[in-house]
This record gives sequence, C-alpha cells and structure tokens, in this order.
Amino acid sequence: MNVRSLAVVATVVSAAFVGCTKTEPPLSDSEVKAVFEKTLPSTVEDRIWERVPLHPAKLLLQDMVEPRLTQGSTSFVRVQSVTDGQKIAFRLSWSDSTLDDLPGPGRFGDAVALQMPAATTADVPAPQMGEQERPVEITYWSAIFQAVANGRKDDIHAIYPRAKVDHYPFEAASLKPGSAAQQEMAKRYAPARSLENPMAGPRTNPVQDLLAEGPGTIRPAEKSLSNGGGKYSQGGWSVLLVRPLPNGAQPGGRTQVAFAVWEGSHQEVGSRKMRTAWIPLSLGSAK
Amino acid sequence: MARVYNWQIGREMPYWYPEHRPKRQFAAVFDTNKCIACQTCTLACKTTWTSGKGQEYMLWNNVETKPYGFYPLAWDLNLLEKLGAQNWEGERYSGRTIFEAAQPGERVLGWRPEDIDYANPNVGEDDCVNGVEKGAHFSGVHKSWFFYLARICNHCTYPACLASCPRGSIYKRPEDGIVLIDQGRCRGYQECVKGCPYKKTFYNTMTGTSEKCIACFPKIELGMQPQCFVNCIGKIRFAGWISKPENARADNPIDFLVHVKKVALPLFPQFGLEPNVYYIPPVNVPREFLLQMFGPNVDAAIETYQNAPRDKDLSGLLTLFGSTESMVSKWKRVEEQVMGYDEGGREIIRVPLREPTHIRQAFDAARGVARTNIS
Repeated sequence: MNVRSLAVVATVVSAAFVGCTKTEPPLSDSEVKAVFEKTLPSTVEDRIWERVPLHPAKLLLQDMVEPRLTQGSTSFVRVQSVTDGQKIAFRLSWSDSTLDDLPGPGRFGDAVALQMPAATTADVPAPQMGEQERPVEITYWSAIFQAVANGRKDDIHAIYPRAKVDHYPFEAASLKPGSAAQQEMAKRYAPARSLENPMAGPRTNPVQDLLAEGPGTIRPAEKSLSNGGGKYSQGGWSVLLVRPLPNGAQPGGRTQVAFAVWEGSHQEVGSRKMRTAWIPLSLGSAK
Repeated sequence: MARVYNWQIGREMPYWYPEHRPKRQFAAVFDTNKCIACQTCTLACKTTWTSGKGQEYMLWNNVETKPYGFYPLAWDLNLLEKLGAQNWEGERYSGRTIFEAAQPGERVLGWRPEDIDYANPNVGEDDCVNGVEKGAHFSGVHKSWFFYLARICNHCTYPACLASCPRGSIYKRPEDGIVLIDQGRCRGYQECVKGCPYKKTFYNTMTGTSEKCIACFPKIELGMQPQCFVNCIGKIRFAGWISKPENARADNPIDFLVHVKKVALPLFPQFGLEPNVYYIPPVNVPREFLLQMFGPNVDAAIETYQNAPRDKDLSGLLTLFGSTESMVSKWKRVEEQVMGYDEGGREIIRVPLREPTHIRQAFDAARGVARTNIS
C-alpha cells in the first residue's frame, strides 16, 4: 500500500470513530490481528475496541460469477478482532449513507459476512465461497434480521403500516390464537417456514451460520453457534460477529479470513456484493 | 451457456443449462376471445394458495386488460423496450432472446419491479384504444379495442427464473415439467423476479423467499386440472400435455390445438423461454399488436379460429373446454359427439357438438299466459 492510499485509509478510519471514541485504534495494514482477551466484547461500543488493531480491508467487486456486481459501492470494511481461545469476535464497520433494513420486492437489506476455511490447513480453499469438499464457514449478518431481532413485528403492517388485510385463514375466529392448531394452520400458508428455511424466521438472532463449497452452494450449518449484532449510526454500520474458532485454529496460530459487504440501496444481494480476497488472520494467545 | 433448440423461434439459442425436456410437459390453452375478466380464476388461485402473510399482493393468476393493463406495471413494455427490435424471418426469430441479450455480468436480460409496481393490479381495466365516441357503432371493423389477457406461470421449457437463480433453488419437475421454487433452499435474492419476463415469480416479504404458481401440482398428480382452470366460468382454459412438434399427436388435445391446427400461440415467444401456456389470439385486435405478442402465426391462427363453425373437429374440441375437472389426455370426435379420455383411455367426458335447444313459444296457450324471460 502506498503513502497516498494509506492516507485515504487513515481518513476513513478516523471518520468512523469521530464521536464514538476519543482513542483511535492502531492500524494493522497487512493482516487481521485477533487480540487475546479473557472476555470477549459483547457490543460494538465496548471500549476494548479502542486498543484492538484495525485492518482496513479493501473491498473488490464480485465479478467472477454471474450474476456479478458491475459497479462498485462500499470501498472498505474496517476489521478488528478479539479471541478468548475458544471463540473469535469481529467488529466490522463500514460507511453507508442509507440504512436499508426493510425487505420487499426490489428492496434489499444491508448485510455483511465473514468467511473462514472450515479446516485450518496450510493452503486455503478458493476465496470465492470455497470449493467442492473444501468447505468454508460463513457467518452472515443482515440488517433485515437485525430489525426483526430488535423487535420489528412479524407482520406485514410493520413494513407497510397502512396495509389493509381482509382476512388470514389462520386467524379465523374458530382458531384459538397461539394454539397448536392455529400455528399449524399458519405454517401451511408460509411454506418456507414449514420447511424450516432459516430465511423465513421467526428469528431472535440476526446472525446465520452457513457453509459453502463454491459459488451457489451456500447452506445452513448443522448448528447455529454464532451471534452478534449491528448498529447503524453516523452514516455507517458497526457489526459484531462472534463465532467459534474454526476447526484446527489455535491461539497463537494463523488462518485466513475473508469478508463481504452488501449495500442494500445498491441492489446488492447474493453474489452481487463487494468482497475481499483471503486476508491473513493471526490469533493471539494468553501470555 | 449450452445450445438448445427452441421450436417456437425455429432455431437454436443459448441457455444456461443443456436441453433436458421432462417426460411430459404440462401445458394449457387459453381462448382470449371467451375471457370476460371476471377474475374468478384470480380469486380461485388467491384463496387456494396465497392467503398467507407476505402473499397479500401476490396474484399467481391475474387477468389484465390489454393494451393498458399490467400486473406488475409495464411488465411487458419494460422488457420489450430493453430487448429492442424483434424481427422474424417467417417462423424463424432473427432478433435476440433475453438469454442472448443478457448484459455483461447477467444471466438474462431482466428488470426488477418495485412494490409500487404491484400496487394497481387492475390498472387499465376496460380501457379502450381510441375510445368510444358518442354514436359509435360496430360496422364490421373494430375501431376501438381491448382484450383480456389471463396469465399464470408459463412453466416454460427454458425458464428464465430457473436460469437466473444463482443457487439452483428453482427446478423443473421431470415428471410433468412444472417449474417450482424450493422453499427450503431459496434465500430470497429475487434474481428470479428480475429474470422472469412474465413477472410470475414473487418475493414474499414475510418469509424472505420467492414464490410462484405451482400449477396446482397436487391436483395434477391426481389427474385434475388446476383451480384457475376449473373455476373459469367463461370456460376459456384447457390443461393438458404438449409434445414436441415432431411428436405431435392429433388425439392429444393440446397438440391438436397448438401443433395440428396451430390455433393457439405462445405469449412473447421471442423472449426465448418456450412458454407452455398457449393463447387463441383475440379476433378484434390489430394484427401488428398481436404479432408482437404472439409471434408470426397470428393471421393463420385467427383464420383457423374463425373457421371453427365449419370445422367440426376444432369446434368439437373447443366444447371440451371447461367441461370436466379431470385432465383430458386424449380426445375423439364421432359425428356430433366429442369424447375426452384420461391417461388410461377411460372415457371421462362426452359432450355434444351442439347442445340441444328447445325454444318455447312466447305465449303459453295451455295456461293462457305470456311467458316472461326471467328465469
């Protein structure tokens, strides 16, 4: 990175922290440094982040597989990381002039994801979602999920306040609200929920654990182990993602991590995203 | 992309996947001349399938007035404009399909409707081209015109929704060619909504997945026609199975109408999807408009249709429309009777070519009263 781009990064970084903290974290230009702490931070505002090295990860267009993103949007995601030897926490922040957390036809939410190789080996699978039999683990956060987790009702009126609905069959007077029969009936009219599609909610966790073995292969992980939360303020998102250390990753060791950011107002969804290549990740250990 | 053959455009074209036709293909014929836009089909579908949360705006079946009706707004005009000139050389389409016109980075040429585009499903209802001036009357040429276009998913041979989905969540059933979205796999990217030129996939805001017409496959599996077919009071619809042109059988009702008589035509065949709902074009509409909508065989189709009173086979088969809830796999006319058979060859319906009529005298001499025409 040359002097000019470093200056740009520094400006981006400082802009992000104006009003949030008085102390700017140190920069880690070449890798993400996961600092060892006995207790992981539980929010993006935790003061611990003031001293955790910050890696400004340059985002690239996903222009490898169709559908591609052909016009760039988010330039950088600022990455900080802390590990307690069992789990690893990431604080990801990026500039975004619009808060997009409403789903709808032609409308998409802001989102971010981190990706790590499922197995910590000397060579990593392809950065574009891994490859066959060499899976990657993806931790995905969405502003739409966050709004629901924050209490937005599971109801069309939460999105269209003036919507007029005549009748839902599963809200018939003959069905006691909340009864097993009523809930069973409601499921019949929400096929994705009947099939327990994790996209379909209802949800309390804004984070999904996913696996992928190449573009187009993303699927839910067997267990949901990650959590986190995001906040929008001052023209940007800050998102905390906490997940277990991947298989084979040890404190004091090294692995790789990659990131992706979706700008909802730019119609970014799925493979239409800004993403990084693999970035080295060093895991701190107790001294 | 693979090279596939699309008989509706008379040539090969690129498609995202190799040609792999189902064992049999669900298909339908809609007679636009009989539709009165009562929307009974729309309601039959709505109450059967889309009464859930997030489905409020969805009409898997809709009927719109052409040329000014759209659901969603300008669904056809937007794409026609993007596609540019669409020329035919005889029955061979020499323009670009939406697969050939895909922009860099895209799988198909498409566009994304917004929620407001779905907000007026009955826009343009009964709006007439040229208007109707005082004193206007019919003198053999329709100076003013509109017609009703009933639409469901076309369960295309080369679905753009399926091609658009980057994660293979959409599939075409090998047993009947019905196109479905796997509700367990879809992640709601809405690429199918963008890609389908007919705009017959819909995003469900509450479940975060896209949904579409399923051709009432639970009924199809029982040998019955879908809800929108059997509830149609105008009896404009007929569901069945279509063969490739070279395998067409005259005793297959859909083959007879599409391949033998060529009276029913695909909707916007130039898009390149080989859609499987076929329309008998309206007789009262300027041919230029119909040519763009139904392809180059419009004149012949209308001539054939208008000759139906003198064509006992064609008029006979048209009487089977709306006559039974069952799927009719084969049919036969014997003199003044038309029979429909199920897959096993069992007769399931028998309809006279002309319903027997009895005209009562206006005066009932036995009772000494004039009959009134109220019942």
